[in-house]
Amino acid sequence: MRILVVEDEPTLRAQLADALRAAGYATDCADNGVDARHLGETEPYDAVVLDLGLPRIDGVTVLKSWRASGHAMPVLVLTARDSWHEKVAGIDAGADDYLTKPFHMEELLARLRALLRRAGGHSSAELRCGPLVLDTRSGRATVDGRLLPLTGHEYRVLAYLIHHCDQVVSRSDLIEHIYEQDFDRDSNTVEVFIARLRKKLPPGTIETVRGLGYRLAEPR
Amino acid sequence: MTGKAAGGTSRGSLRSRLLAGTLFWIAVSIVAAGWSLGSLFRQHVEAQLHAELTTHLDQLTANIGVDDAGRPLLQRPLSDPRLERPYSGCYWQVDAIDGARGLLRSRSLWDSVLDAPRDAPGDGEIHRHRIDGPEGARLVMVERVIRIDETPSGNGGTFRLIAAFDEALMDEPVARFRSALWLALGALAAGLVLAAVMQVRVGLAPLRSLRAALAAVHGGATQRLEGNFPGEVMPLVDEFNRVLAQKAGVVERARTQAGNLAHSLKTPLSVLANAADAAISAQADHELGRLVREQVDVARKQVDYHLSRAQAAATRGASTGDSTPVGPVLDGLARAMRRIHADRAIELRIHPVPASSSFRGDEQDLQEMLGNLIDNACKWATHHVEVAVRSEGSRLVFVIDDDGKGIASEQRGAVLERGARVDEQVAGSGLGLAIVKDIADLYGGELSLEGSPLGGLRVALRLPRT
Repeated sequence: MRILVVEDEPTLRAQLADALRAAGYATDCADNGVDARHLGETEPYDAVVLDLGLPRIDGVTVLKSWRASGHAMPVLVLTARDSWHEKVAGIDAGADDYLTKPFHMEELLARLRALLRRAGGHSSAELRCGPLVLDTRSGRATVDGRLLPLTGHEYRVLAYLIHHCDQVVSRSDLIEHIYEQDFDRDSNTVEVFIARLRKKLPPGTIETVRGLGYRLAEPR
Repeated sequence: MTGKAAGGTSRGSLRSRLLAGTLFWIAVSIVAAGWSLGSLFRQHVEAQLHAELTTHLDQLTANIGVDDAGRPLLQRPLSDPRLERPYSGCYWQVDAIDGARGLLRSRSLWDSVLDAPRDAPGDGEIHRHRIDGPEGARLVMVERVIRIDETPSGNGGTFRLIAAFDEALMDEPVARFRSALWLALGALAAGLVLAAVMQVRVGLAPLRSLRAALAAVHGGATQRLEGNFPGEVMPLVDEFNRVLAQKAGVVERARTQAGNLAHSLKTPLSVLANAADAAISAQADHELGRLVREQVDVARKQVDYHLSRAQAAATRGASTGDSTPVGPVLDGLARAMRRIHADRAIELRIHPVPASSSFRGDEQDLQEMLGNLIDNACKWATHHVEVAVRSEGSRLVFVIDDDGKGIASEQRGAVLERGARVDEQVAGSGLGLAIVKDIADLYGGELSLEGSPLGGLRVALRLPRT
């Protein structure tokens, strides 16, 4: 899962990015409206955390231009202004949820999980695929109740696949959603992560669909 | 909006001032005109009668002669028929210069004799007197002394010729003229008064439309004084519109500043809170972390509370002209609520809003009040929230029901208590209600809590309507 954080205050931006990476998300940052608009339009983010008070272009304008160009990723709006007038304006501009500063980081993570889940059509914080269960709250994966030891990248791959359970995910999709923007992407490493995951999961959990990509499915 | 309600005392009306002045001058001029025209006419009639008298005297002089016995005699009768009619008011008489009266008299004198005062006008002079005449009449008389020289028969003599008329002859046409004159002047006065009333009405009409325009601003129908006014009133209207615009600008700036203050305070608070969270998660009993976290929460609530109060107060001071349709505000809030509470299976139902329901006040204030109330209801509801609006006299009543746990009746008063310390309020309910109550108070509205037929809390908010 890849997240865009748009916040102009450097310390808060760093705190957000650290917390999101710690929670297993690939996280990109922008500190102004122009960069934010460009990133949101060119990179396939799974969700955006957007501060409304931005330099150069304000957050509502950025959000409206994303929606106008057909980008439907969930957007969690951060604002200092706690008036319903702004909340309604933000929601009408296309925001999916609203968080007022100052906030608890746990609450932000919970709201973000909820947004990602809703976007993927899941109703519970625990994503299941056969005996495999991913608890998005704790970031733990279990098979038949047995904890799977996962590295950060393995977790990102598994989380993206399980959010798109039973769907074919192309290798380039996977790369775009597990790596941050300026990471040196080597497509071979994805195959390395898949191979490692296959060893830890019951056989047949990750299928290779020739020429298309991978699919996470209940083992038959 | 009367002068008194606006705080000034009314000092008579312009209309009665203008009318009183005009009516006074109309009355004075009409009376003066009547009086002077009347006396002019009287002078004219008097002059005319005097001319007649002189004519009579001249005729008398021309036609008088002396008989053989030396007595005066009228050789030809005088032409004026009134002199022949008894007591007609026109008379003549010839006296002897030595005092014998009435040697010759007009027939109109019948058997009375004019009692002229003793006098001896010089040759060619005409003297004038007022005397008492027959039947108590007041007469004006003129006299002249003539000497008739020797006639062929050798007689002659000196005589006093008198012509007189009754003053009453003058009164009658003057009275007739006066009554006609007063009638005409009365009609003229009535016309002038009518014209003055019309003029005042027409002249003051712009003030009436100005009043209507002001009422429209106050009632919220317009934001500025609309309409064309005469050149004398227009500067006033323009100034007033400038004041209105300036007030709106002040509110907008106050809002922006409040927003900027919120932003500049809350972003550092966020940084502090997150640092504290990080410290606590690294070490659960991190004392400084807990202290910071706790105080950041207190600070946030204080900032929220005072900002919303300041904003509402700024608005209230300048929002005399606002009118906010309720429908769009509720629709916007409903969209926001459904999105924000999407995770909880809440069915938010907004009952149809009666047409033309408008709140007399600022849109953002209405959004703030209803937003807090509906958000609270959605937070506490199990499944259902219902919002209804109805008109009640000059007020709008908003009723928000939820099917949550509700608030026990004995605690409802405490939740709304004014001055309750913000940091002691229950998160998510108390603070919101306190803000709503404060804003409602500024508009003279009311907030009340009851049990809901849905099982939870019913909040009723009463606000002024336009």
